[in-house]
Amino acid sequence: MIELEMQKVTLGYDHHPVLEDITLRVSPGEMVGLIGPNGSGKSTIIKALSRVISPESGRILVDRQDITRIPRRELACMVGVVPQLPLLPSTFTAFEIVLMGRNPHLGLFQSEGKRDWAIAWQAMEKTGTDELANRRVNELSGGEIQCLLIARVLVQETQAILLDEPTANLDIGRQGEILDLIKKLCTQSNLAVLAAVHDLNVAAQYCDRLLLINERRVHAEGTPREVITDRNIKEVYGAENCVYTHPVNGLPTVLLGAHMNKTNGT
Amino acid sequence: MPSNQTPTTPAGTYLSGRRTRILSLLGLSAALIVVIALATSIGSVHIPFSTTFGILLDRLPFVDIAQTWQSVIATIVLDIRLPRVVLAGLVGASLATAGATYQGLFRNPLADPYLIGVAQGASLGAVIGFLLPVAWNIAGFGLIPLLAFAGALLATATVYMLARVGKTLPVTTLILAGVALSALLGSIVSYLIISSGDKMHSIIFWLMGSFSLSQWSEIQVVLPYVAVGTAVIIILARLLNVMQLDEEQAQQLGVNVERQKIILLAAATLITAASVSFVGTIGFVGIIIPHAVRLIWGADHRFLLPLSVLTGAIFMILTDLVARTILSPTEIPIGVITAICGAPFFLYLLRRRKKAIF
Repeated sequence: MIELEMQKVTLGYDHHPVLEDITLRVSPGEMVGLIGPNGSGKSTIIKALSRVISPESGRILVDRQDITRIPRRELACMVGVVPQLPLLPSTFTAFEIVLMGRNPHLGLFQSEGKRDWAIAWQAMEKTGTDELANRRVNELSGGEIQCLLIARVLVQETQAILLDEPTANLDIGRQGEILDLIKKLCTQSNLAVLAAVHDLNVAAQYCDRLLLINERRVHAEGTPREVITDRNIKEVYGAENCVYTHPVNGLPTVLLGAHMNKTNGT
Repeated sequence: MPSNQTPTTPAGTYLSGRRTRILSLLGLSAALIVVIALATSIGSVHIPFSTTFGILLDRLPFVDIAQTWQSVIATIVLDIRLPRVVLAGLVGASLATAGATYQGLFRNPLADPYLIGVAQGASLGAVIGFLLPVAWNIAGFGLIPLLAFAGALLATATVYMLARVGKTLPVTTLILAGVALSALLGSIVSYLIISSGDKMHSIIFWLMGSFSLSQWSEIQVVLPYVAVGTAVIIILARLLNVMQLDEEQAQQLGVNVERQKIILLAAATLITAASVSFVGTIGFVGIIIPHAVRLIWGADHRFLLPLSVLTGAIFMILTDLVARTILSPTEIPIGVITAICGAPFFLYLLRRRKKAIF
């Protein structure tokens, strides 16, 4: 079981801060959502927690160890990432891309064996990508690639998973399937899950806790009910009076358009 | 894979693909041996294939074949033809491997072993060597190979330092720095050539490449670089696969991208530099062989690299055979033949397979 932690972290590119003084913690079995406007730095937090970028100040801890002290391969056995729709090399098949998730588990002179193939195959069945296995990835749709990347992170067998807009390209059916799968893994296998999500309704329904990021800082933190409030949404997104209560599960739900006439009038 | 086949499991199809490629590796190894023997038996003095094979086999440890040939024939085979064939094989293998490595590292199908300055650096070194009125020999390198080798490494090191940004080495910057420095060195080489007077012919001949002066001593110098460099690259093949994703994903999958980039660059550059120093900047092989291999056997570097080693070696031995026999006794520069023989075959492959090749 792994815990992810950021302590007063400042992140930026070329000394131009994108995020300041960020403190967060993701515990095992917990699914935490990062929400905030475009460009607020959600992906930057994911990059920092996978050591693609280093903090300008503050400490990042993975499993209570300073992230800079963990060798990259070891880190990749602890923390897996689903990136936001990357370009994949067109000449590889879907199966080969998923199999790359085994890379951190293999030594320099090792190659994948029967066990690795079985793990990859299972992950593809779970994510509904088994039919795509022998297709070249340049023939796949955005949604199919997203499912493939989820399969790859399962193959990586990490105790912590970071997801950057994991369902942005999925239809509503697949979105539910994939999020249910991640949620199930999170609770059943005690994974620490951090997901950057731009869809506030998805965030409210699936995450145990939310961090609302705005203007380089954590604007609000807490349960979806505590974070997705009329006041916070207005302060951060400038949208007024759009938070309602879901009729079935009682969670906050954001509906745009109810006040369209009013906004158009001003 | 054609998509109308319905595989039982992806692992099954993946495995049968692997099996095909392993068999191809074995087949190509056998073909390489036959090609070596064939190329060694052809030349201005006619020596039957069986005799050549006998002489070659006799040299292997634990093999003893009754000698039915004159010793002068053995000398022609072993000390004149064989070193030439072996050097051609080594250089072909190096250029193909280095090309595949650069294409993978830069994720760019236009990359070849000369992209970041090796060729122009080596050419400048060699041209200076031709123009110097002295001759010497250090560590098995004659003056021209030594200066060519030094030029190649200096040019690449310069490109490397120019392209470095902080602790990282952005691939695009590296390519641009390489192209710019190559242009600069190239124009110096051109100027030196036109002002080189009666040495112009030999310089141009060197630049287009030739195996005509091959000796065992050269192989002794080139072989260690090629063997170590190629081994390092093949060991890192799986990481090179992962690096075909972007650098961010490769890092998130546990690859120390900056370190592997430097190791792979150094290894590929070293084998290229060692090869061109002795035989000149032979073109075409380094860019086309990896593509041909990729078209036939796929993009997995664990197969792409060793298959490129074998295919590059076979291709270069055969083109050198053409270069020295077709207008015998006149030799054609090998760089001319590589493109004349290789381009049509490659274009054929390209037309036959219309899928994305890179």
